[in-house]
Amino acid sequence: MKPKVAFFDFTGCEGCQLDALHLDAGEVIDLLNAVDIVNFREVMTERSDDYDIAFIEGSITRESEITRLKKIRDQAKIVVAFGACACIGGVNCLKNHLPMEEALKIVYGEDARYYDTIPARPADAVVKVDYCVRGCPPVTSELLKVIKALLLGKKPDIPNHPVCVECKMAGNVCVFERGMTCLGPVTRAGCDAVCINSGRHCWGCRGLVDDPNVDSEKEVLQKYGLTVEQVVEKFKIFNTYAEVAK
Amino acid sequence: MPENRVLIVDDEAIVRESIRDWLEDAGYPVATAESGEEALDLIGRQDFSVMVLDIRLPGKTGIMVLKEVKSQRPWIKSIIITAYPSEETTMEAKQLGAIDYLIKPIAPDDLEKLIRETLDSLGREPTVTTEAEIGVRPPAVKAVEVRKSLVISKNDLKSMVESLAKEMEVVGVKSRQGKYVYDRISSFSELCLDHDVTIMSPTKYFLPAKETLLKFKVGDESGVKPVTEASGRAIVGMHPYDIKAIELLDEAFITANPDPNYIARRQNTIIIGVDCLNPSPKSFAPSMGTHQAETGFDLLLTDIGADYMVTVGSERGASLLAGHTQAREPSGDEVARQKAVRDRALTMYQISLSVPRERLPKLLEDSYDDPYWETRSATCLSCGSCVMVCPTCFCFDVQDDMALNLKEGERLRRWDGCMLVDFARVATGENFRHDKASRFRHRIYRKGKYVIERYGRVGCVGCGRCATACLAEIASPAEAFNAIAESVGIKEAAARLIREVTPDSELYTPRPAELVQVNQLTQTEKVFEFKLKDGKKLGQRPGQFVEVSIMGVGEAPISICSSPTRNGTFHLAVRRVGDVTAALHNLEQGATIGIRGPFGNGFPLDTLQGKDILFVAGGIGLFPLRSLIQYVLDNRSSFGKVNLLFGARSPAERVFVDELALWNQRPDLEFQETVDRGDETWQGNVGVITTLIPKVDLDPRKTMAVVVGPPIMYRFVIVELKKKELSDENIIMSLERRMKCGVGKCGHCQINGVYVCQEGPVFTLAQLRNLREAI
Repeated sequence: MKPKVAFFDFTGCEGCQLDALHLDAGEVIDLLNAVDIVNFREVMTERSDDYDIAFIEGSITRESEITRLKKIRDQAKIVVAFGACACIGGVNCLKNHLPMEEALKIVYGEDARYYDTIPARPADAVVKVDYCVRGCPPVTSELLKVIKALLLGKKPDIPNHPVCVECKMAGNVCVFERGMTCLGPVTRAGCDAVCINSGRHCWGCRGLVDDPNVDSEKEVLQKYGLTVEQVVEKFKIFNTYAEVAK
Repeated sequence: MPENRVLIVDDEAIVRESIRDWLEDAGYPVATAESGEEALDLIGRQDFSVMVLDIRLPGKTGIMVLKEVKSQRPWIKSIIITAYPSEETTMEAKQLGAIDYLIKPIAPDDLEKLIRETLDSLGREPTVTTEAEIGVRPPAVKAVEVRKSLVISKNDLKSMVESLAKEMEVVGVKSRQGKYVYDRISSFSELCLDHDVTIMSPTKYFLPAKETLLKFKVGDESGVKPVTEASGRAIVGMHPYDIKAIELLDEAFITANPDPNYIARRQNTIIIGVDCLNPSPKSFAPSMGTHQAETGFDLLLTDIGADYMVTVGSERGASLLAGHTQAREPSGDEVARQKAVRDRALTMYQISLSVPRERLPKLLEDSYDDPYWETRSATCLSCGSCVMVCPTCFCFDVQDDMALNLKEGERLRRWDGCMLVDFARVATGENFRHDKASRFRHRIYRKGKYVIERYGRVGCVGCGRCATACLAEIASPAEAFNAIAESVGIKEAAARLIREVTPDSELYTPRPAELVQVNQLTQTEKVFEFKLKDGKKLGQRPGQFVEVSIMGVGEAPISICSSPTRNGTFHLAVRRVGDVTAALHNLEQGATIGIRGPFGNGFPLDTLQGKDILFVAGGIGLFPLRSLIQYVLDNRSSFGKVNLLFGARSPAERVFVDELALWNQRPDLEFQETVDRGDETWQGNVGVITTLIPKVDLDPRKTMAVVVGPPIMYRFVIVELKKKELSDENIIMSLERRMKCGVGKCGHCQINGVYVCQEGPVFTLAQLRNLREAI
């Protein structure tokens, strides 16, 4: 019996699901040989409420989403948060810095009264999450890694060290030495430092490592010219929910 | 030089004459000399084109001859012959202008060919330019050529690198965004050889960040296949510190448990190093002895301006030079320029160690609990940058990567590092270096202590990469080493200060003690009762000893045989064996002697408290033991069951007989004694003391055995006690050593690293198990 896999989207851009489609043909065939995909809005219209592994995409921003997520948790044997919004709250949490009414007004203007909203939160703020496939967008290879680990019945090996490790392996000139600043030293690796490899810096989309030295990172950011406010802003983008920006 | 005359210098007639005959047959005019002096004399009077010179000559050696010829007749071409080739003489001879080297026995053809080529080149001399003169003979590739220094032009290097690129991947130092990196080079012009330091070390070419160790299949076609990659590669531009780092890797990956993947790469990699003439501001390579390399490379370049000086480090390097360059001998000026540019580079380093690197292991050993580790690591990001860029870091993780079909997969090796949070975490969740301070300390200990102790090579090559990469600016081992050195220095200074404030002028000065009473114990043993003349108590613990002085005769360590629980005097029981003890034996009541001490640890009263005690005394081992026996009997209620076994060689050698009789009568003491050999008066046990032990009824869990006797007795008694299942911790012994000073300095009493006068003389058997010299 192949495990049944379902993808569910909550509040987010659905880019994670789209990214999951970036598998090559061989991988798709292998994947479909290994699992049955029973729910995947981006690629199929059929739906089933019978699944073993649930991938949760997006953050939780409405009461109704809480109810829905809890139901999924009850049904699924394994719940995997998929992408930055589901794993760490992501950019949606930026609105948490505003009163909810104001946030609604900014987005919906006159029509705000038709909508409800709550402070955005990651999936594990609502239900128990077994595993995370991190990133904005997540790395396809990590999605496969988690699926393979689940199939093999082992714990997926997701790094608990900062992006710097992979950035050094990639042979990059340090972002700080290029006159920019970077959240790599406190952000969980696993992305192979893709942004830095492309000439940018780390935004922190994979969330922080388990025991980040945030104070030291803030000192470093200020040493390299950021004001206290800029440091806070930098952390806010993806890591508001982790409350480190406070 | 019309005649092309050859001079043969050898002290062995047979060699001298054979060569002469060969060369004369070949048509050369020849002269011979049997000593250096004779050769120089001939050279002074005649012209020679070539000299064939034995290096080992009586009187003036070949090297001395070469020196004089070089200054007086620089045009004479010298060919060295020797039966004892050594690298040093070869190098020296070459530096003195010898053009080649032949090893005895010499083949006539080789010699004749060499002389012909030499003379041919001379023959062309009038018509060719100076530049051509130096390129006359491409260097022959022989073992003796390794370590040789030659000169190649920058064009030579270009053509060599370009030729290499046709055969293999060429990796070199390139510039990237204002920094330097090792990367594949597609054209020679990309190569930077005046770099300060690269971001990553060349370690990645021997241990890649990620590599496949095994490929495997599971299920029906299960199997495992090792994977080793071994394509040829040349690395150009490696600095000496990196070369030294690779030598450490060699030690770790080749010497024990040879690593196939490492070796495959190592063997397929050509290393063309370059002297670091523009050091990084964070480098401290000279302090680590790594700013220059003598081995570990195939070729090593020094940029001396117009050309490169190139040192040949291997056969492979020699063939490269021979095959692709017009390498030539350096001129004296060029040799001097190489030294000058190297010396200049030395002045450019901005960081150095404040202590010699040889002291680092000991410094670190003494600084494990220094607060530095905690305070300095507070800002550590645990980002691993320091270990990732380090050329001497080689730790890795191994993980399986299964294909999605779940049928096949790879076992991968990936870089890992001790600075990463989970490096020492085990499956149960325990993390053996869970805090920043312990990880930080571990890395510095690896760099300054563990690696050198394990592999005999410096664990840090002082490249400064970690210090450059560390955003928190805490990673430089030099800074840590210097901080620790300073901290230890401060502690030492403080300790010195304390000593200066309270000097112990009494350390070696005995206190006067008066002999109160003497009793003869046996023919050779007496017990002396002393009291200190200043009226103070000695203050000893049972099992301690004093140094007894008879001024003019000397000082001897004597154990105190009375308990401090007895009156204000103390007893010393002494066998007459040496000068001091003989002098003691001659003393009469009222005499004054000198006492230092008490010294030593004494018996562990706290441990013994509440336990059953088994005393085992052999002969005069009873002397030190008596102090404890008295103490136990005086505090009888503090101890459990007490057994006392005493053995003497004969009835006449029994000591403290009155006390033995009293002990025998005490109801709260199980007393047994024996003699090795009885006599007509003896009615007790006969047999060695070990025969008494089986008769003792003891509970091994709560019994402490205290054993004192001659060394031989210990071995047998231990065997018997182990039969009673006593643990090593519960067997206590007092050792006899030559405790000359009593204050842990003179070294006479040392057992391995332990000073008996300080940590002893009382030890548990468990402690002695680690002291191989003890018993």
